[in-house]
Amino acid sequence: MFTKENLLKLIKNTKGRLALLAIAVSLVIPLLLSDNYMLHILTLIVIFTIYASSWNLLASSGQGSLGHAAFLGIGGFTSSLLAINLGIPPIVGIFLAATLSAAIGFLIGITCVRLKAWFLAMVTFGFSIIASTLFSEFDEVTHAILGFRTPPLLFSSRLPFYYFAVLISIACVAVLYFIMKSKMGLAFKAIHQNEAEARMIGLNTAKYKLYAFVLSTFFAGLSGAIYAHFQRYIHISIFSADNSFMPLMMSVIGGLGTIEGPVIGSVIMVFIDHFLINIDPFLNSALSPLFPAVSNVGPNIRLVGLGIFLVIVVILLPKGITSLLRKLYYYVRTEIIQSE
Amino acid sequence: MIDATILLWGVAIGSIYVLLATGLNLIFGVMKLVNFAHGELLMLGAYVSYSITTGLGLDVYLSIFVSMGVIALVGLGVERLAFRRVLGADKLNEIFVSLGLILIFDNVAVLIWGEDSKLLTSPFKGMGLHFGDVFLRYDLLIAFAVVVAILVGLLFLINKTKVGMAMRATSQKSQASMLMGINIEHIYIFTFMLGAVLAGAAGTLFGIIFPFNPYIGALPTIKTFAIIILGGLGSIKGAIVGGLLFGIAENLASATLGSIWGDAVAFALLIAVLILRPKGLFGEKGD
Repeated sequence: MFTKENLLKLIKNTKGRLALLAIAVSLVIPLLLSDNYMLHILTLIVIFTIYASSWNLLASSGQGSLGHAAFLGIGGFTSSLLAINLGIPPIVGIFLAATLSAAIGFLIGITCVRLKAWFLAMVTFGFSIIASTLFSEFDEVTHAILGFRTPPLLFSSRLPFYYFAVLISIACVAVLYFIMKSKMGLAFKAIHQNEAEARMIGLNTAKYKLYAFVLSTFFAGLSGAIYAHFQRYIHISIFSADNSFMPLMMSVIGGLGTIEGPVIGSVIMVFIDHFLINIDPFLNSALSPLFPAVSNVGPNIRLVGLGIFLVIVVILLPKGITSLLRKLYYYVRTEIIQSE
Repeated sequence: MIDATILLWGVAIGSIYVLLATGLNLIFGVMKLVNFAHGELLMLGAYVSYSITTGLGLDVYLSIFVSMGVIALVGLGVERLAFRRVLGADKLNEIFVSLGLILIFDNVAVLIWGEDSKLLTSPFKGMGLHFGDVFLRYDLLIAFAVVVAILVGLLFLINKTKVGMAMRATSQKSQASMLMGINIEHIYIFTFMLGAVLAGAAGTLFGIIFPFNPYIGALPTIKTFAIIILGGLGSIKGAIVGGLLFGIAENLASATLGSIWGDAVAFALLIAVLILRPKGLFGEKGD
């Protein structure tokens, strides 16, 4: 995979250059920061990149899951509980957790392969609710209702953790890239476009849909396990619907079915989540008199604005922000470089 | 032991689900649109009734008509400004738009009405019929009757009128009906508004029976989707049976296993039905 020729090829095309640039930036950025909070946010972005990319792989095979938080939670709880009860080191635990998540994903996948898109979305959503209920029902084993402190993953300081997460994330995105470029990725695309026709040309659609499910839930479980060890705390709220819808929003705003979409999307959504909150005091002081029903209007006005912004973005850029970047790139190439 | 009261409450919440589900089913059937913000229309409907009854002193049951009208206009706005523009793109874009709309509606409702729980005061508060141990609130009976009346009207509209025929044609093949001279753009607007009207009525009925706050919309929507999938997409009969089944299953499970089990059992029922019948209970055969 990493022969000299391949590396040379990577440097020669623009996509490869951009990917290398992104990797370089992600490696250098923390060295320029003195601020721990920023590093925390960067690590969150990196973890959510894995999560959103895993969801995106499943969506690229035409299976839009609305319950991926179930696998995030299963991954997180498995690795944390293994570490606490059996003393399994988290660095091994995260992969065991991902494997268990994939095994459960396999079982859910089997029930889902016969279903059409909307039916599948509901089954996955229902599964996340059932998983959440089971985890709170068996609280003596899971300690989910009150939550518990999770052990650190090898190192407890932030910077090494960031680099570890970046490396895992690069590996995951690279694996997903090769899957999407392979014959299997083509099959996913064919199924997404028209399942009946894909079956007609001889694709075993059930098999490929199941592959997509297992791969996607593996990476979702992995991201959940890393997330739990990163937050150093895990709680039943990891199964929330917000966590299920998050990768959808990240993938759609970035660019559905593309490899870079979820990466861009997770940067945008995590930044919005953590920094937009800073305008609350301003909104509060400026607009408070208009709304007598609420004492603290800042968050609500901000969220209305965010909602309007998200709707407008997706109306103007139905294929996500990456489509804008592509257009820009072609414009630069055809108009500016050729006219020289 | 199964208490008859639990069953009754199951039927009550079920019949509100039925209204929501029929509206959503119409929108999905005709426009092939996935509107996850449908429950927000129910929430707004309840609040419109609240404002009308506390502000103007109108009877809650008459305020249903106002709330249906206002929500129809909201539906018109939502269809024109948001959904129309993403129709035909990926279905996941429609969900994305719905999530944006949920943010907007929830927070606008908080800004206008505040976050506290509200309840519509019914003129029949505390009144009802006694059957042995079972106490049957008049409000539940009226809600049930209103739902039945609306459904009868709806079936008449769909099956006997020209607009209904155009809607059925559009749901079968939108391009062919366009060639037959149906203005499907108008049919889309009409269908979406009709769905919104049903949600508005459901909102008022919900507000009379259950306390509500700006965040009640989200879960009913997802359950409603589960219901129309349980019943079979595009089938009104399916939506009715599915809605009642879902409401009863949820209430029975909450009462016997504990409140956290309500949603889980309802969704487990859905998954079980789909494993046995991938197209739902009354879903159409074929691909």
